Amino acid sequence: MILAMTVGVLAAGGVYLLLQRSMVRAVFGIGLLSHAANFVLLAAGVSAWRAEPLANRTDAAVAADPLPQAFVLTAIVITLAVTVYMLMLAVLGNNDDTHRMPNTGESHDE
Amino acid sequence: MNAALLPLLAALPLLAAATTVLLRTPLVDRILMLGIPAASTLAGILLVLHHAAEPVVAHSVGAFVPGVAIPFVSDTFAAVMITVTSFTTMIGALFLTRTGEDRLRFLPALVLMLVGGVNGALLTGDLFNLFVFIEVMLLPSYALLAITGTWRRLGVGRLFVLINLLTSTILLIGVGLVYGVVGTVTMAELVGVAQEDPRAALAVGVVLFALSIKAGVVPLHGWLPRSYPATSSGIMALFAGLHTKVAIYALYRVYAITQDGTPSAWIPLLAVVVVVTILLGAVASYGEFRIRGVLAYQMVSGVGHILLGLAIFTELALAAGIFYMAHHIITMGALLLTAGAIEETYGTGRLDRLQGLMRREWWLAAMFAVGLLSLVGLPPTSGLWGKVGLVLAAVGVGGWEAWVYVGAIVAASIASMLALQYLWGEVFWGAPQQVYWPASARTGEGPELELPETLRARAGLVAPGTILLGTSVAIFVAAGWLMPVVTRAGAGLLALAPYVEAVLG
Repeated sequence: MILAMTVGVLAAGGVYLLLQRSMVRAVFGIGLLSHAANFVLLAAGVSAWRAEPLANRTDAAVAADPLPQAFVLTAIVITLAVTVYMLMLAVLGNNDDTHRMPNTGESHDE
Repeated sequence: MNAALLPLLAALPLLAAATTVLLRTPLVDRILMLGIPAASTLAGILLVLHHAAEPVVAHSVGAFVPGVAIPFVSDTFAAVMITVTSFTTMIGALFLTRTGEDRLRFLPALVLMLVGGVNGALLTGDLFNLFVFIEVMLLPSYALLAITGTWRRLGVGRLFVLINLLTSTILLIGVGLVYGVVGTVTMAELVGVAQEDPRAALAVGVVLFALSIKAGVVPLHGWLPRSYPATSSGIMALFAGLHTKVAIYALYRVYAITQDGTPSAWIPLLAVVVVVTILLGAVASYGEFRIRGVLAYQMVSGVGHILLGLAIFTELALAAGIFYMAHHIITMGALLLTAGAIEETYGTGRLDRLQGLMRREWWLAAMFAVGLLSLVGLPPTSGLWGKVGLVLAAVGVGGWEAWVYVGAIVAASIASMLALQYLWGEVFWGAPQQVYWPASARTGEGPELELPETLRARAGLVAPGTILLGTSVAIFVAAGWLMPVVTRAGAGLLALAPYVEAVLG
């Protein structure tokens, strides 16, 4: 229940930030949303069984499912890489609350 | 054949990408950037031939227990897709070497990573691994979008990254839900789950929804015509052949497996979306003012045509959809590279700035006309058989649905033909072109100069488009030999027993 509510709050906050005009806020929004996705993955098997998923050390009946943890680990790595890239885009765009893109003489009416 | 070689199709391009980064030698860059897709094309053809005898080949990486291991699976559908996408990538890479864009630092590495991601996504037999490989495909694309094209790319780069990352997050949530409900994400164990369990159907629905956004299905298509034309022509040709098509491939695969041959109860929704996509893409082509903008909306229409095969979901329809997908990748690549030759030479792709090029570029004008005929679905091109197949499949449905499907295809063809003949007329017909913008192709700005009488598009820029267009015409001629292959590919999506047996043993 707490997990489901956390996912809901994170997703709501993420969507709100994603709809803002500034790129940095959108990046934070993506961050929150991906956390929500990670919790959904964890909810698929980790919350019910809490023991470490180590072979020969933990009883299989109480060991957590290691697969969602591996999923989440992969997802975190991907999100981190893209977040860094998006922050780079945010720096290159500059002041995106007022200007659309650098003035290069290109027509912007599209 | 040794199935353990399958992961190499994804691993070798990635290794080659690392090699180009480490060696930094232009010659090695070029050899790998052209050679790896060529090798991948060859491997695809060999796989297609092999699948005539053995329909499905699978390998579990690391030889773990089936069901736990990550399987790489190749069947006729995957092999056809690998052949077509790798071939188009090779020709696109050839174009990049002709425009000099391959000298950009990291560009060869990024193209090779793209190939690795696409091959992996086509071969994987695991839903989560599909997500990973789609990300492997998208990450270099973000960078490719940022290093080529005009300044406009930075603005639309944000759109492209945000939309794709949001979609990937939804896909990830879908995969998590599937795992939560079914307890596995190995596709061979997901056979028919959407029929058996409504919760699984909902979870799979989230996955399909995310894939639809990536495929550019109306009403979630807006990102595609906004972002693609902002990058350079060569890169757009790669994107057009790879991104949306891999998403459509995944839609076919996931839907077919989770439904196990029985259409979903939600098929009317898919049918409506598909028909609207076909029509909207064709009509919206009118509203664009750049060559590649028009082609981008034609891509949206093409997505609808391909997914029509899924909406009808018979063996004939799936085969027709797969054939149309192969045709669309090649034809769209040919048109984009031809448009690229014009943009590189004259510095603009804007319809109001181009006119009367036919007097200079009769070969480009003829090629472009044949390419547009292929999009509309007229002979002597692959487009004819693509649309004939879809219409035959639609007629097979019977009743009023058949009228709707066939009506949509015909109406979209007519609308496309009008929009495309307008495009051709604006660029090639009329008074001779007097001015050009030589500095503008890369930066989007540059002074207007008088056009020298002798200026022509270089042969190196024209050749890649010509090769792809020649392929489209060759498909028209050789359709009789290719039909059994796509029919086998479509049949493989309905009869899943060999797939399951190959993966789970």
